[in-house]
Amino acid sequence: MPSGALLFQSVILGLLLGGLYALLAAGLTLYFGIMRVVMIAHSAFLILAAYLAWWSHSRLGIDPLLSLLVTVPLFFACGVLLQRLLLARLRPATMTMMSVLLTFAIAVCVEGLLGYVFTGTQRRIQLGYGSASFEVLGARVAVVKLIAFGLAAVSLLALYLLMKRTTFGWALRATIQHRDAARLVGIDTDRVAGFGFGLGLATAAVGGTALSLDTTIYPSLHWHWIGPLMAIIVVGGLGSVPGAAAAAMVLGLLQSLLQIPLGTTWAQTVFYIALFATLAFRPQGFFGGRLAQRF
Amino acid sequence: MPSVSRSSLGYLAATAVLLVAVLAFPSLAPNPYILSVGIVVLNYAVLSTSWNFVGGFIGYISLGHGALAGLGAYGTGLLVTKAGLPSFVALLAAALMVAALALPIGYAALRVRGASFVIVSIALVLILLLVFQSWASLTGGSRGLNVPRPFPDLLRPEHHRVFFFLFAGLLGIAMLTWWAIDRSRFGLGLKAIREDEDKAESLGTPTFSYKLVVFVVSAFFTGLAGGLYALWFGDLDPVFQFSILTGSYMVLMALLGGVRNLFGPLVGALVVGSALEYFKVQFGDTQLHLVATGLLLALVVLFMPDGVLPAIGSLAARFRPAQSSIREVTQAELRESRLAERGPVPAGAGANGKEDRG
Repeated sequence: MPSGALLFQSVILGLLLGGLYALLAAGLTLYFGIMRVVMIAHSAFLILAAYLAWWSHSRLGIDPLLSLLVTVPLFFACGVLLQRLLLARLRPATMTMMSVLLTFAIAVCVEGLLGYVFTGTQRRIQLGYGSASFEVLGARVAVVKLIAFGLAAVSLLALYLLMKRTTFGWALRATIQHRDAARLVGIDTDRVAGFGFGLGLATAAVGGTALSLDTTIYPSLHWHWIGPLMAIIVVGGLGSVPGAAAAAMVLGLLQSLLQIPLGTTWAQTVFYIALFATLAFRPQGFFGGRLAQRF
Repeated sequence: MPSVSRSSLGYLAATAVLLVAVLAFPSLAPNPYILSVGIVVLNYAVLSTSWNFVGGFIGYISLGHGALAGLGAYGTGLLVTKAGLPSFVALLAAALMVAALALPIGYAALRVRGASFVIVSIALVLILLLVFQSWASLTGGSRGLNVPRPFPDLLRPEHHRVFFFLFAGLLGIAMLTWWAIDRSRFGLGLKAIREDEDKAESLGTPTFSYKLVVFVVSAFFTGLAGGLYALWFGDLDPVFQFSILTGSYMVLMALLGGVRNLFGPLVGALVVGSALEYFKVQFGDTQLHLVATGLLLALVVLFMPDGVLPAIGSLAARFRPAQSSIREVTQAELRESRLAERGPVPAGAGANGKEDRG
C-alpha cells in the first residue's frame, strides 16, 4: 500500500496534468462542434508549438513563455486558414470521414517536417527554474508543472468567458447548435467557423508551450497525445466542452494514480479502456447531449 | 443493357491482363530484390483490398487496420514459436482469432456513427503498440520476434517465388469475396448504409449487424495478410507492425485507386507501393517520406476523393457518345428496364426517381 504522501503527490500531479488535458480537449471539442471534424492534427500542432518554444529558448535565448506572443496569433491564423482553405472545400456528405483523412495528412506532414528540420533527436528545455519545487503537505510540486497548469487554467477561463460573455461567443455557440438557424438570424457562420477553428488551434499553441516546460519532446510524440485526447472527448461526449474538461480531470487523475502500481506505460491504457467501455455501454458519452448521440 | 455488358467485358479483360501479369512477373523479375518488391506490393494490395470491405462498402474510414494486420502477424508468429503449430495452420488460426477479436472491437466502434469509429481505430493501433512493446516476456518487446520459415530448405529466390504466388492467391480470394459481396443483397444493404445510414435503417436494413459482419470479414482478410507477411519476412517488430502509417497506406492506396471499384485498391497499391519502395531506395530513411505521404493523401482527399479509376472512366466517357455518366446504372437505363419489365407505363411515371449522390 503506497504511503499517504505518495498518494497525495499523485493526486496533485494528476490534477495538474488533467488541466492541460482539459485545455487541449476543449480545442478538439470546438472543432467537432463547429464542423463535425475529428481533428487528428491537433496534437501535431501541440508538438510544433513545443518545438517553437524550445527553439526560441535555445537559439534566441527567450523564455519559452514569451514565445506564446508569437505562437498564439500564428496558430490562430493557421486555424482560420485551415478551415477556410482546406476543410470548407470538402463535400458535406462525407465531411466527417474525409476531414479525418485530411487532418491526418496534415499531422503526418507536420511530423515529417519537424523531423526534417529539427532531426529526431530528443529535445528538452533547460530552465533556470526547471528544477525548482516546493512542498505542500509532504508532496513535492515542481514549479514548471504549476506554471503549465496555470497557463491551461487561465486559457480555459478566457475561453469560457469568450464563449459565454461576448457577442462572438454567442455567435459561435449558435453556429455549433444549429448552423442554418444561426445563418437565418444574420450570423456569418463561415467567418465564425473559421475563427472557432483558430481558437481551437490557439489552445494547441498554449498547450504546447506548457508542455515544453518540463517534457522531453520528439517529432512522433504527438501520437502519444492524440490517443488520450480522443478518448477524453468521447468519454466526455463529443461536442461538450464541460464534459471534455470533466473527463480530462478524471482520466488525468486516474492515470496519475495508476502509475503507482502499474508504471507509466501501462497506466496509459486507462484512456483506451475508458474509451472502449464508454462506447460499449454509453456511446453518447457521459456528458454529451443530443449532438453526441449520432456520432 | 449495353453499359453492363461493356463493364463486365472490361472486368473480364482486366482480370485476364492481371492474371497474365501476375503469373509472368516472377520469371520476368531481373533479380530477387525486384521480386521481393513485387511481394511487398502484393501484400499492400491484399491489405488495401481487405480495408476496402469497410471503407468501400460502408464508407467508414479505418486508420487502424494496420493493427489488425499486426495482430495477424504476431498471432501467427506466436502460434508457430510458442505453440509449435505448423505454419499455415497457425496462419489460419491467427486470422480466425483476429476476426473473433474484431467482434467486440466492432461492437464498441460501430454502435454509433463514423466519428467514434475513426477514434477507436486510431486508439486500437496505439494501445496494441503499447501492449506489444511492454509485454516483452511474450512478444519479445522491442527486440522483435523471429518467425521460422515454413519452407526451411528453399533458397532465397525460390522462397520469394513461392510467397509471391501465395500472396497472389490470397489477393485473388479477397477480390473474389469483395466481388461476391458487391453483387449480393448484403452488399446492397452495405452500400445503402454508405449513402445514407438513416434512410437505410428506416427501410429495414439491419445496419448495425451488417456493419459488424463486414468489419469482421475485413479483419479476417487483414489478419491473413499480416500473418502471411510474418511467415515471409520472418522478423516482427512492434514499431512496424503496429504503426499508424501502415493503416494510412491502406487508406491512401484504396482512395487513390477508387474505393468503389474492385480493382481500385490494387491499382493504388501498385502506384503507392512502388513509389514507397522507390522513395526508400532514392532518399533513404529521412523524414521526408512522411511529408510525401501526407501531401499525397491530402491531394487525393481534396481533389480526387473518388480515386483514379473513376476519374479515368469519366475521362473515357467524355470521348464516348451516348454515355455521359459513370454511375453503374443510369436513371434512363433504369427506366427502360422497368418499362420492359412492367410493360407499358404512363409516360413520366418511371422518371421521377431521385438522383443518387454518386
